[in-house]
Amino acid sequence: MSAKTNVTKFLSEYAVVIIFVVLTLASIAPSGLSIPYIIQEVITRLGRNSFLVIALLLPIYAGMGLNFAMTLGAMAGQIGLIFAVDWGVAGWQGLVFALLVGLPIAVLLGWVTGSVMNKAKGREMVTGYILAFFINGIYQFFVLYLMGSLIPMRNPAIVLSRGYGVRNTLNLESVRQSLDTLFMLRIGPFAIPVVTFIVIFLLCLFIVWFRKTKLGQDMRAVGQDMAVAGAAGIDVERTRIVAIIISTVLACGGQIIFLQNMGNLATYNAHDQTGFFAVAALLVGGASVTHANIPNVFIGVILLHAMFIVSPLAGQKLFGSAMIGEYFRQFIGYGVIALSLVLYAWKSRRAAEDQRSQLRQGSATGGAK
Amino acid sequence: MKRIMIRSALGLVYVALLVLMLVTGKRHTILIDNKADPNGAYGAINGMSVQIDKLESAEYYPGDRDKAVVKGQRHHIKIELFDDEKVIERDFRLPLNQDMVLLSVPKLVAGIEPYIEPFTVQLEQAGMDQTANQSQEHQQFGTDAEGLPLDMGNPAQTGMEQNQ
Repeated sequence: MSAKTNVTKFLSEYAVVIIFVVLTLASIAPSGLSIPYIIQEVITRLGRNSFLVIALLLPIYAGMGLNFAMTLGAMAGQIGLIFAVDWGVAGWQGLVFALLVGLPIAVLLGWVTGSVMNKAKGREMVTGYILAFFINGIYQFFVLYLMGSLIPMRNPAIVLSRGYGVRNTLNLESVRQSLDTLFMLRIGPFAIPVVTFIVIFLLCLFIVWFRKTKLGQDMRAVGQDMAVAGAAGIDVERTRIVAIIISTVLACGGQIIFLQNMGNLATYNAHDQTGFFAVAALLVGGASVTHANIPNVFIGVILLHAMFIVSPLAGQKLFGSAMIGEYFRQFIGYGVIALSLVLYAWKSRRAAEDQRSQLRQGSATGGAK
Repeated sequence: MKRIMIRSALGLVYVALLVLMLVTGKRHTILIDNKADPNGAYGAINGMSVQIDKLESAEYYPGDRDKAVVKGQRHHIKIELFDDEKVIERDFRLPLNQDMVLLSVPKLVAGIEPYIEPFTVQLEQAGMDQTANQSQEHQQFGTDAEGLPLDMGNPAQTGMEQNQ
């Protein structure tokens, strides 16, 4: 293979990562932010977002692409948190309570998603994306009309003045950073939420262990070729549903971790961008629609959020308006997803062309003999 | 049969965990009160310091009332009277379904039961009524926001803020 081909392959493989590293490094100086501040912010956001991004891995292993329907799990987590606040369950117990309430909802939604995706094989990503919009409508109905009317609410402070429906913004003061502050390690100017990172580490161990199990191996087999996996006796549809259920449940837990760190809940739209940002982070980390691993998660979260930290201030300094940085943030997020999808399509087409040309060469050589 | 038993056991563990989290994590507000009885049954304490569990202790003088926010049902109170330097310690339980209680320290010191009584905030309803009136005024203008929360912002914008 020539050097030029190697360079082209490397660039196409890591184009998104390279673009991000260059952009982030170039933005640090104009932003005027100190390196310790950026590192502290990245540590905080790593704890806040990694769990959500890891939730995307299993569907990729199962060949279902990027699970945009993880938003459904986020909604389940939010319902759990609303009940935790309503019942006045505080601290880490409040988080576990929210997880326990959200768990059956996440399993149910995951099963629905998996079943729908089995009817739309090959188009899972767009199906998940649209399904998230559909379930969002049901969530809005549930939270806006059923809570407080059909479902009794104890805490009048979180109910709308008309007597039913949950307020637009909930103060999660009772559970705010209760996981992060369980044990906060201070090293120099940095504060590290140890327990949050332990939880993330345990999840990583689970993913590594799960890949080695029978079910994990089945998922990878299904991800590589559904027809072959089916012929080998693997229940393809059930395996795909399980992958999505686990992803949705993890998204439920991830959203709870995310929101406890934020300290407030935008009831009707906090989940809107969850899938979008998790997907963007994973892609920035060098993952693709078909391949992802744990390092991709952490590289992606670090790079994407380093960019998010520096871009508003860099925009303000360079263009005189912080809004430029905010728009830049959105532009980058969507741009990364679009670029990754285009690169994936381009690589798939090129691989098919290479395969065809190799076949042609093989048949030509065979014919000459 | 074995599968049903395992599933039942898991269901029980799930419910038990839920109840455990509710009982141990439920937050209560204790209003610590140092006021005399209007009928003269007991008087306010001249000066004392009160500590609930391991929270920071606070000083109270006649007529004072402060609050302590605690988690769980079982608690410990330590009272140090300034006059005779007497220390009184008591363990007490809070009802699970009561968000706010009034703990009268003079009653506790005098040995009058019950020294813990449920407390309901009356102002809450008044405040809600006021907001409801404002809500009706808003809806009378015939906007298409009827039935929606009044403070619903731009979804996309708020979503971005959440994910910062």
